[in-house]
Parts: sequence; C-alpha cells; structure tokens
Amino acid sequence: MQLSSDKFKKRCAQRRISLGDVLKQAGVSRTAYYSLIRKESVLPKSILRIASHLSISPVALLDNDDAKIKQIRRLQAKANVISSKYPECDRDVIFRTLLNLEKPPVERLRRALIRARQPTIHK
Amino acid sequence: MHDNLPFTNKELVFLKELTRQKVEFIVIGLSAAALQGAPMVTQDVDLWFRDIDNSGIKKALKKVGGTWIPSLALNPPMFEGDHVQYFDIVLTVHGIGDFDAEKANTVDVPLGGFSVKVLRLDRIIASKTCLNREKDRMVLPALKSAAKALIAKKPRGAKREKRRSTP
Repeated sequence: MQLSSDKFKKRCAQRRISLGDVLKQAGVSRTAYYSLIRKESVLPKSILRIASHLSISPVALLDNDDAKIKQIRRLQAKANVISSKYPECDRDVIFRTLLNLEKPPVERLRRALIRARQPTIHK
Repeated sequence: MHDNLPFTNKELVFLKELTRQKVEFIVIGLSAAALQGAPMVTQDVDLWFRDIDNSGIKKALKKVGGTWIPSLALNPPMFEGDHVQYFDIVLTVHGIGDFDAEKANTVDVPLGGFSVKVLRLDRIIASKTCLNREKDRMVLPALKSAAKALIAKKPRGAKREKRRSTP
C-alpha cells in the first residue's frame, strides 16, 4: 500500500495542474508529500497483517464514505422526484422505503422488529 | 453470531423448513410490508396458513425446538419457543379474499437460499383499510407512501413480471 508518485503526477497532468500547485492548494508541504511517497506503506502494519490474515486487500477494510454519501444523495434526489409526483405522500417515508430497498429483505424485517423492541419508541 | 438480534438463523430455519415441508403460508401484516421495503415497526411476523392442520407445521417447529400450543376457547393456536417467538398464527384475514385468492396477490421474497410468499403491499393496505382499527389508521398513510415509492422504483415495462418478485 505504497503511494505512487507516478499516479500523482498523472492525475495532475490530466487536470493540467502542477504537483506543486496541488500540494499548495491542499495545504500539504513538499516535505510531508515526499515523506509519504518514501513510506513503504501508508497504512499501519497492523492493518496489513489483519488483511493478510483474512486474505483480503486492506482496501476492503476501509469505509468508503464517498460512496455512501453518493448513494444517499441519489436516494434523496429520487425521493424528491417521487414526492413531487405524489404530494400527498410523506417524503421521509418515501426516502426510507428507497433506503430499505437497498438492503436485503431479511435485513428490512430485522430492522422493523428491532425498532419495535426498543423501549423508547413507546414512550 | 447474531443471537441477540431478532430474526436470525433459527427463525429463518423455521421458515425454510415450512417451505421444505410444502406448508402453504403467506407472510402478512406490517412484517410483510417491511420485507417489501416499507419502513414499518412491528412486534411480530404474521403467518397466514392455508391449512392449520398441516403436519409440516409441527415438523418445522420441532426442527427449531418450538412447541405448538393448540387453541382453547377464545385463545387461538400459537407457537412457543425462543426461535418462534416472533411468529403469530393468522387464521383469517379481513377485507381481502380467501387464502387461495390472495395467493395470486403475493410476491416471492428471497430470504437467502429460499423464498417466502409475502402479501403485496396494496393488499395489506386493502385489509387495513377495511379493518379500520386505530392502529391501522395510524400506519395507513405510511403504507400508502411506501407503496408509491415502490411503484416509482419499478423499472418501466416490467409490470406483471416484477410483481412476482421483490425489488
């Protein structure tokens, strides 16, 4: 899990911006950048050992917040379209239904049962 | 692994065994709505059996260490046991057709290696509209909104085919 200076440069070239400008705009010093590039792995060794033990890529252990945010935004936009088509409907219910549809059926049912058994829900 | 969570392996084993025993049943009520994606809250999973005397029910119960409690006076039959605690037996459903008629109004919902018949959302709404109890009136607006979301989510040109399986 080493950072690739070639990939950095390639991305910069694609965006027609110099590496120095990217670092400046990102607020990362050249010293910090070259320190990262020289590292054998940017991930802690313990993570690499766990991933190796599980025979998976360390990337599989990382949460991809970007993907989650994109998914939610997509569903929110869809909920907006549906609720504008059916103004009598509750937009929040529509959104939560769309969210549920992204999960397997048994997970949908499990959530319904868990919520019913939360004591605070009846207060 | 999931022993503290509701509806884990044993509950699924029970449903799978019911289907393996060819027991005809339909999941109804709010659990059926939840399985289809409606964001509902429910205490139980209502199972509507075509024939309550089907011996396969007791065989499935035995598989998960459950017990059949026969009906007595006004008390309907029920299941007893840790792994069947979420299931309620339903003998009659008001406001819609009989079991054979409503079987055509179900969707097959996959539960990992097998599927169960689940009453379609519009039929759940029809039943609750007819019953019109306070608890039904409380959930009807949410059920109707969820139904609209399901309709809108379906791809165009997939009307009858998609009705038979969950999204």
